[in-house]
Amino acid sequence: MVNNELALDAETGVPSEAAADERYFVRLNKSERVQHMIFAACFFVLVATGFMLKLPESFLSFFGQAGEMLFRYRRLLHRTAGTLMILVGVYHVYYLLLKPAGRRWLVDMLPRLKDLKDMRDNLLYYFNIRNEPPEFDRFCYKHKIEYGALIAGTTIMSVTGIILWTQYEWSKFVVDIAALVHGMEAILASLAIMIWHFYEIHFRPHKSPLDNLWITGVINEAEMKEEYMLHYKKIMNDPELQKIFIKENPKRGPES
Amino acid sequence: MEPTSLNNMRIFFILTAILVLLTPAAPVFSQSDTLADTENCLLCHRYPNMGRYDEAGKKRVYYVNAQNYARSVHGKIKCKNCHIGLDRIPHTDVNKVDCATKCHVKEPSTNLEFSHANMIQKYEASVHGRGTPQNPKPFPEDLPTCKDCHDNRMYNPFDGQWGLSQALFNETLARCMGCHTKEKWAQNFYSHFTHRMRRRRAPEEVVRLCTSCHEDVNKMTRHGLESIATFKDTFHWIEIEYGVKNAPDCISCHVPLGYSTHDIRPRSDPISPINAENRVKTCSNQGGVQVCHPSAKAKFATGRVHAYGTKAQMMAGKQVKGLEDLDIDRVLQRAEVDLSPEEIFRFKVLQLIKLFYKIMIGGTIMFMGLHQWLDFLRAKRKQKNRS
Repeated sequence: MVNNELALDAETGVPSEAAADERYFVRLNKSERVQHMIFAACFFVLVATGFMLKLPESFLSFFGQAGEMLFRYRRLLHRTAGTLMILVGVYHVYYLLLKPAGRRWLVDMLPRLKDLKDMRDNLLYYFNIRNEPPEFDRFCYKHKIEYGALIAGTTIMSVTGIILWTQYEWSKFVVDIAALVHGMEAILASLAIMIWHFYEIHFRPHKSPLDNLWITGVINEAEMKEEYMLHYKKIMNDPELQKIFIKENPKRGPES
Repeated sequence: MEPTSLNNMRIFFILTAILVLLTPAAPVFSQSDTLADTENCLLCHRYPNMGRYDEAGKKRVYYVNAQNYARSVHGKIKCKNCHIGLDRIPHTDVNKVDCATKCHVKEPSTNLEFSHANMIQKYEASVHGRGTPQNPKPFPEDLPTCKDCHDNRMYNPFDGQWGLSQALFNETLARCMGCHTKEKWAQNFYSHFTHRMRRRRAPEEVVRLCTSCHEDVNKMTRHGLESIATFKDTFHWIEIEYGVKNAPDCISCHVPLGYSTHDIRPRSDPISPINAENRVKTCSNQGGVQVCHPSAKAKFATGRVHAYGTKAQMMAGKQVKGLEDLDIDRVLQRAEVDLSPEEIFRFKVLQLIKLFYKIMIGGTIMFMGLHQWLDFLRAKRKQKNRS
């Protein structure tokens, strides 16, 4: 692999590995990190307070007298976190449409034919039929699937959540559908986050035990080349992109 | 000799021996300050071990705790006012207690002799009653009698919901006794009054009581009903499980403000609180202690409260597990009356959404799991190659 990387270096004409250690690449800017942190915190609160409704009967006696108070705070917390999550979602739409960094995110996140090819090639790589994984751009097919699921999931959960919150304004049938969808989608979202997202940040061999990208927002050059070669090449060939995506001295803290 | 008569003989001898031994002490017990036992029943019935196994093998306890009895709603009533007969010892002339018996207590508002006959009359006309002689209900042995619900709750502690605690009893009783100096009377009156100021059972107790019959699939099927395990699929039940005091149990909707538990009617009856016409009033429970859905509107209140159960499954043409050996014709007949085509459509829509999500969750998670597992294997192999 070392040879491979050197070969790739020669191909893209970027400086040698020793110098590259100094250089970091921005994956998430400050706004995106803050959005992610609030969203993730809300998500955990929502999962915990939401699945409290699905706890087995035998477990509930454990709460004893505290049950009633817990139930009251459960509702308050769930609705607070839900509201906050919707607000972050609304801000994110604003960010995507009206901020330059957001628009860049949106364009880079749009699905393309290349994603299907990448997926096919990556699976072939997993099955050892191809020797190298495809070169990924800023967002690979895995990210796009997850982002799409996140947008769809958040929308579905928000809409059904608001219906449940304002139940008197709807017919009971609509409320019943909303309750069913809210519960099922919650299971889907939680499992997806656990299997897809937690794997990415916790269990991929080089990320374990926890990737700190969500705090620092940057990755080093070696990882950048290994994971997002196409984006790396684009950055290296475009001084404008270099200004945005390269962080020369990360010890000062990542750029915003 | 039959085993029963042998038992009776044995009891007779034991009782005679006790009688002979304790005759000098008898006046002491009859002068107990907890119970005016003028019939001297406690002579024998005060012994906690008193009892026998009846012909059906059921354990019968004949012990009476004098203090508990004295504090109970029936504390002032003589044993033989309800237990008619009992003139022979051993008691071979026992009649089953009939709660409609006039018990020689005067009802203070009318000064007439009191009995539970009016309650029983209502009850017999209710959904739990035995029907009329012209139109008796099938399987009368399944139908609950007084004691199925009034299950020895006369030995209630004074505490309960909504602040009716022992401490409150102590304080209030002291106030009562400012004028009503006889403590036992004051206690009885307090107890009588406060029993009616609160619901005697916590929500989970009510659910346990009702489901003791209504969750019995065999019994329910015989009467064309479905098991109400469907209640346990609702948000109402989750609240009860968490011990929320305001949580709605069976009584909250089926016997709301202004109704009597003795007079529960089928949904089709216009005076039933769950009849479509009365739903808004029931859900909003205006003026009641429980705060339910004060803002309930017609479209919210006319929907389904219990989850869809056996009937909806049958009507939607689904196989229902667990009913294979039962006679389900009656359930089907009722299902056709109870469930409108709209309800069945709704059930089908909900089922379809559930199926869609099951497939979606299964498919997505399988794809994700497999993908990440492959990724993990490949990454490990890569690490190995590197080293």
